[in-house]
Amino acid sequence: MTIAFRDFSWTPVHGSRPVLDRLDLTVAPGERLLLVGPSGSGKSTALHAVAGALGTTLVGEASGSVEVEGRIGMVTQNPSSSIVADRVGRDVAFGPENLGLPRDEIWRRVDEALAAVGLPHDRDRFTSALSGGERHRLALAGALATRPDVLLLDEPTSMLDPVLAEATRDAVLRVVGGRSLVVVEHRFDLWLEHVDRVVVLDAGRVVFDGSVRDFRVAAVPEALWMPGRPVPVPVEVPADLVRPVEPITVSATDLVVDQVTRGLRGTERTRAVRGLTVELHPETLTAFVGPSGAGKSTALLALGGLIRPVSGRVDPPSEIGWCPQDPELGFVATSVRREIEATPHALDRAVDVDALLEAVGLAGRGDDHPYRLSGGEQRRLALAASAAHRPGLLLADEPTVGQDRGTWALVAGWLGSAARHGATVAVATHDPDLPRDRDVLLQAGEAVS
Amino acid sequence: MTGLLTRLNPLVLLAIGLTAALGSPAVRTLPIALAAVTTYVVFVVLTVPSWRYPALCLAVVLLPMASVAWSTWLLGGRDAEVAAVAGLRTFVLAWPGAVAAGYIDVARLGDYLAQSLRVPGRFAAALSAALQRVAGAWRTWHDLERSRRARALPRRPWSMAFALLVHTIRDATRTSIAMDARGFASAGRRTWAEPATWTRSDVSVLVTAVLLALLPTALHLISH
Repeated sequence: MTIAFRDFSWTPVHGSRPVLDRLDLTVAPGERLLLVGPSGSGKSTALHAVAGALGTTLVGEASGSVEVEGRIGMVTQNPSSSIVADRVGRDVAFGPENLGLPRDEIWRRVDEALAAVGLPHDRDRFTSALSGGERHRLALAGALATRPDVLLLDEPTSMLDPVLAEATRDAVLRVVGGRSLVVVEHRFDLWLEHVDRVVVLDAGRVVFDGSVRDFRVAAVPEALWMPGRPVPVPVEVPADLVRPVEPITVSATDLVVDQVTRGLRGTERTRAVRGLTVELHPETLTAFVGPSGAGKSTALLALGGLIRPVSGRVDPPSEIGWCPQDPELGFVATSVRREIEATPHALDRAVDVDALLEAVGLAGRGDDHPYRLSGGEQRRLALAASAAHRPGLLLADEPTVGQDRGTWALVAGWLGSAARHGATVAVATHDPDLPRDRDVLLQAGEAVS
Repeated sequence: MTGLLTRLNPLVLLAIGLTAALGSPAVRTLPIALAAVTTYVVFVVLTVPSWRYPALCLAVVLLPMASVAWSTWLLGGRDAEVAAVAGLRTFVLAWPGAVAAGYIDVARLGDYLAQSLRVPGRFAAALSAALQRVAGAWRTWHDLERSRRARALPRRPWSMAFALLVHTIRDATRTSIAMDARGFASAGRRTWAEPATWTRSDVSVLVTAVLLALLPTALHLISH
């Protein structure tokens, strides 16, 4: 065996129930395992257990055992937290340095790993200038460069467009060779033909463990993105909760925006948006699409007046809704209820908090701390909190990334309902299934269609 | 203003501050104090890329300077010259080091600590990674500020600082997991992807820093 969970349970500090509940699971040497489950089912926690983080870096109560043989390589869900160096080359070199490899070998592995994940930048590129998708690929390159015995990947392709996702999967499979692989992914169809076994977790327990063939016909939780299942029907949100106070049209002309990294030693500018001209209208959901690093997130920030353009013209409204890619960056309160109330109160506007909580599936969670919610719950809270004041312009950065079908239907439903009832909605997304009225395709910062 | 400080290795920049601090006790008379301050000011003006950051450091150092001078005047016989010397000594103690520290390339600090000073590799790498996260905190501050602006909420510094603290702690946990997953926890003999090279400028400035630090002592010996 390479990995063996034996009757393993884990309850995080302040947790009311175990995240992993008497887990029994083994992974054989060279086995490729796909680990799936709804949001909050314990998938990432299982990877953390294998990596040895539970009870050491993460505090909580454990029982049972987890045994691991060989060297671990892991890509965590939040790639920004994996970055340990200021430049791409040195970041990938961190693992080989830890292995005590000679300098020539370190750089050989760095170049090999960067090429394998298709990161189109040289070694000296500032890591702070990378997009979310590029950071994912950087983290993957960092793990591959150590040539681990067991590779653990937590949603390695969720931030990538379909073409790049396939290319990354192929790179992983090439590098993994005969080593063990555990992949956690919500949209897992691209892995199914390449794994030996599938395990489904639900509420911290194994509810399915078997071959891919059996998995395809098994009765698994409704929240899973099973291939062949129709795209979920977005959940309609009542008009009173999303109808904008004032409809708004936003227009931008020849917008040029730089991402700036400032320091005493110098300033690095990376051109993120080049000459964007676009008009966003009420009752329209516009999706900014394109490869990772194309400038989608920066374009949204500029349209919302949240980043100053180098040149060009944009007239952002005074009131906007902004849902960032990392939900935690938007949280300002100590309870879910206060989080939703914050902006309407600041604007002296009435808000039906209970109805909003109901609409995003958080009824009964009003007193919880936002940090104690699962990833999917945080995403829904962030959206409700950013839009509770019913802004005319609602902007969301990768709102459906890494979500199960349940959360996806709620998020897609909210955005669609807001647009239908008069809001101007724009999203940066890789999700081909997210219903939208129009696409703006960005490539290297330019709108190409 | 040549910007030479931005091209020096981190150990030389640390040495500037350390030598200035070690030399400062020899600042005992007004002529020596004025000579030491003047030479450090000239040195800094010649080597920084812009006057803004040194001026900011001066503004910060003025408070302890004034405090030390005032208490010396009050408790030291109300002698203005003694008080001025005490204030200027504080300047020599703090200002050159504060300016030099600002230009340290924290990303390369680990390389130099481990390879030039033989500091244990894991400690050097962890320190370098941690300092880089601190340097990146302004980006998180920016993101927090942006979220609050978008939500029409007041951007109170203490509330933002608390949010930054919470975010930094949570981020540090995730970074620690990611580092260990890349072999950091079990790293025995660590190697380094880039060499810790010493250029002619590094050596020249190091020698200059030592001479500047010895100047008050030399003047003191000459005057006696």
